Amino acid sequence: MAHVVTPLDQPSNYKDSQARVDRQKQNELLEKSSTLYIGNLSFYTTEEQIYDVFSKCANPEDGGGVKRIIMGLDRHTRTPCGFCFVEFYTHAEALASMRYVSGTKLDERIIRCDLDLGYRDGRQFGRGKSGGQVRDEHRQDYDPGRGGWGAQAQRLEIERRREVEERYADTQPGGPVAGGGDDWKEQNAAPAAVSNKRERSPDDEGDNTRQRARVEEAFRELDSGRM
Amino acid sequence: MSYERPYGGRRRRRDDYDNHDRRREFVETPEARLKATIIKFGEVDAEQELPTLASEIRKLQDPATIPVVSESLRLGVTEQPYKIPHYATLLRILCAPENGAEGENVSTDVEKPSLGRQILDDFWKGFQAYLDKLAWREARLCIHFFAHLTEAKVISPQSMLGLLQSFTAVLDEFGVSTGRAKRAARCAAEGLMRAGQALKDYSPAAVIEMIASIQTYNESVTGAKWLVQPVAKLYTQDAVALHADEILDCAVASLKVLEASDFSETSSVYLQPYGDLALLTATPFDLPAVLVPPEVIELDGISVDATEDVVVKKEEWPEYLLRLFDNDVTPDPSTPAGYAVRADLLDIVDIFEVNRKECARILAEYPKWTVSGTFKPRPGTPADVPDRDIFPGRDWQLESTIIETILGANFLLPEGAEKPVYYIALITELCKLSPQTVGPAVGKSIRKLYSYLGDGLDVEIGRRFAEWFSVHMSNFGFQWVWKEWVPDIALPVRHPKRVFIQRALELEIRLSYFDRILKTLPEPFQEPSAQAMPDQQPGPEYDYDDPASPHHDAAQSVLNQLRGRAKPEEVISLLESLKNTLVETTDGDINVDAVIRSIAVQSLLHIGSRSFSHFLNAIERYISLLRNLASGGLASGAAGSPEAKADILNVISTFWRRNRQMVGIVFDKLMQYQIVDPTDVVAWVFAHREAGLDWEVLKGAIDKANGRVVVARKRVAALRKEEDDTRARANASGGADNMEVDAEAKPEEPPAIESPQLVTALKAFASLTKEQKSTLSRVLDGFVSLLYTSAPEDISARKVVSESDWENRASWNDDEWKAWQNWVWYKHFCRAYAPFLRSYVTTLSVVSFAPIEGSDDEVALLMKKIWNLATGQE
Repeated sequence: MAHVVTPLDQPSNYKDSQARVDRQKQNELLEKSSTLYIGNLSFYTTEEQIYDVFSKCANPEDGGGVKRIIMGLDRHTRTPCGFCFVEFYTHAEALASMRYVSGTKLDERIIRCDLDLGYRDGRQFGRGKSGGQVRDEHRQDYDPGRGGWGAQAQRLEIERRREVEERYADTQPGGPVAGGGDDWKEQNAAPAAVSNKRERSPDDEGDNTRQRARVEEAFRELDSGRM
Repeated sequence: MSYERPYGGRRRRRDDYDNHDRRREFVETPEARLKATIIKFGEVDAEQELPTLASEIRKLQDPATIPVVSESLRLGVTEQPYKIPHYATLLRILCAPENGAEGENVSTDVEKPSLGRQILDDFWKGFQAYLDKLAWREARLCIHFFAHLTEAKVISPQSMLGLLQSFTAVLDEFGVSTGRAKRAARCAAEGLMRAGQALKDYSPAAVIEMIASIQTYNESVTGAKWLVQPVAKLYTQDAVALHADEILDCAVASLKVLEASDFSETSSVYLQPYGDLALLTATPFDLPAVLVPPEVIELDGISVDATEDVVVKKEEWPEYLLRLFDNDVTPDPSTPAGYAVRADLLDIVDIFEVNRKECARILAEYPKWTVSGTFKPRPGTPADVPDRDIFPGRDWQLESTIIETILGANFLLPEGAEKPVYYIALITELCKLSPQTVGPAVGKSIRKLYSYLGDGLDVEIGRRFAEWFSVHMSNFGFQWVWKEWVPDIALPVRHPKRVFIQRALELEIRLSYFDRILKTLPEPFQEPSAQAMPDQQPGPEYDYDDPASPHHDAAQSVLNQLRGRAKPEEVISLLESLKNTLVETTDGDINVDAVIRSIAVQSLLHIGSRSFSHFLNAIERYISLLRNLASGGLASGAAGSPEAKADILNVISTFWRRNRQMVGIVFDKLMQYQIVDPTDVVAWVFAHREAGLDWEVLKGAIDKANGRVVVARKRVAALRKEEDDTRARANASGGADNMEVDAEAKPEEPPAIESPQLVTALKAFASLTKEQKSTLSRVLDGFVSLLYTSAPEDISARKVVSESDWENRASWNDDEWKAWQNWVWYKHFCRAYAPFLRSYVTTLSVVSFAPIEGSDDEVALLMKKIWNLATGQE
């Protein structure tokens, strides 16, 4: 279907600069991916809010559901820095999120979804110099939902901030991330956390990759429909 | 942060993608350019584009272009049905002789069929392919195209009649399913609506007969209709629906109106741009005869118990289109013009599901494809002049019509074609596109829907209404005029309006946060006594926090171990020693096991209460502890004990009593990790219905049981295929070696031995199928005891069934409303899970209906009536 319009469930042309597979392999992975990158979140948005929105795209009757959510954290402060990964059990659910959720609001911000190669340990941390997302270092505007200048004025936000700050305090780099449960009768074999997959420390980006990341993040910014 | 520049995306799409992007379509070859032109045909001005496009097609003399043209037409027809009259005109022009103007009858080559005929010939193959794979919508839209061509005298009326008759023939098939018959009837009816004039000229008797056969079929499905009406009536099973029209009813009614005036109305309902063209002199095209292929019966051959394998099929029900506006605001779908608009809009909503933004744009532009005067022009546009053409009885409001149609699609029972979130997101896009015109239509729809609550609006629609409301508000700053609903605080708490308010606010809080939502409410709703908002933000309730609470110290020691990430075995032994102490220090009147379970589970939830991930980490780390707890005795490692599992669920619902979302999540994950089974959750639901039946949790359990079977089935199928492939490969390579030597040895191929994985998978499949069956049976048991086995508090189940009870609903109290809602949930359970229930119909009804068997009590009779209708036994 869709010879007349472009479907919304196509992956963007973002390329994970730290992924060690070639373009073709990446495309293959994306074609069956059940993981989404979610961007432009407020720093205060909780996993439960995310769960609520994305469970609307779940197909429990087909054995699907939200498998796990990995909150993107500032590398230094261990506080949410505006992105996350949502992993479903099935590819169809990820596509549905692309079609129905990407570009709508969560916590009063337009969030953006992109099909992702799949979560790997280390990716939960921001890759920017500051510890947060690279995009935030290039932002020119004030953004109260992301701790921009003048956020002090936002009393409610401060209140939420306080709650958020303790939440991920115990998260360690390379620490276990929940597995989310596997298929029936199979979870005995491989309990959740796959910590041996860590290939690269989150902060060893070279100058080149940083340059590229900047361009890509700029794209993301563009694509998310806000500026 | 705001929805500005809704169209920015289009420009960016063109610029941003690098050359590797596979989405990028390069318009380079003449064929590709032609294809794009045909697909875009009519977007500026069909009438002007027509001659150019026709000559462009003619210019490409290469016979290879014919498939290109016919394929583009096919895409145009099936993906942009609103353009069909224009595509028919294009083809009609291509059917005229090539040289010389229309009607001059100059033909250079008498032998050679016209270009149009050749294209139509090829187009037909595409139609045949749609039919072969029973792509109903595509086939139906092709029929629209053929019908216009019949009116345009390109296709012969007798062959068109034959085509439509092969669809009405489906209605007479023995045991035809509702879904198949509905779609076939729509194909015939919609073809007839467009081509009726030509067909009736040819054979009035055949047309009348065809309408009669659709009508006869339609009248035979009353029971199923009653089951899916949006406004539930328990007291009567007649098929007259309130505030809604069934699509086939509408089709029949429209056809009869058209037929009564010999289809003279057709040209005012459908565009017929070909109407002014001179007559064609060539003999009309005869469509080949077709047979609608039978439905494919899925036989995946992995059923464990051949008689009870579930093959789930959706869309087995009549479709009711909900009405929210008066006939002078939005079209009445049971009139010819109203049906045309409704059916078109529904098709657009359906087709453009892949891109809701484009869908919204196309919907907003819909009037340009209709007979002028159908819709009111947008205020302030050039068309909006006082003395404009107004079509008598039309002049409808576009936005209200669109919103009514989308909501109708979202509120179909038992379920819509797409997920509710699609329809919700589509309405959001429409609002972004034109807030000042769509906004009011949305507001009016919300008010109207709200007014239906308490007047019988089905509980499932009420649920989806709250879901739409909350997500919509979340996208538009939570701005709603709550003030106007303040007087309803006086209604009983379980009145559907108050249930809605409570639910809508709960969902808003989930999407946002407590303080934010509280701020949006007028004072009366802020008061906890209004029971609209909770008294504080949702959070956990750890019962052992207070040093004064019983078992505080014990709980603290468990909590410390968990926090210190002690090994599960250590925690288990700690719990055992705590248990021993408890047994020694307390009197016999407390359930020591229950206390230990409560301490352990609450403490585990406590360390996981910071976020969903924390919770997942906690249960993954302590999965063996949870298994141990679920198995009953701390020491025993036996299979789960229902009592222990019930305890665990109770502890969870107590711990998260102020956060129903977390209850759902925790239950779901515990089922996922097989700490509890869906049957345990079902039992919990029926044991906790103080606030009404928790349908969400119940549905979660049933879907989990069903989903597991789906997964197991796929796994078996995959393993089977893998083995077949391996075997085939082995045979092939073996065969190559001794092909000539010993061709006879083949039959001796080793008997299929199933691999250990397959054996395990089959075992899992069998046990999950069993679990599915017992889950469904538990639910049915639950409803029988809820509605029939009148426990004192449920005596009201019998006081809400009759018509006089219903008329008296203004004086109903909470129990009565709860009972009514339980009834409608039962009805929903039966229709929503009908395909599964049908597979187990005998076992389920024998076992679960034992208490009501043979009873002629009105409650028993109604329960069985609903059951029989849903399972197709009546």
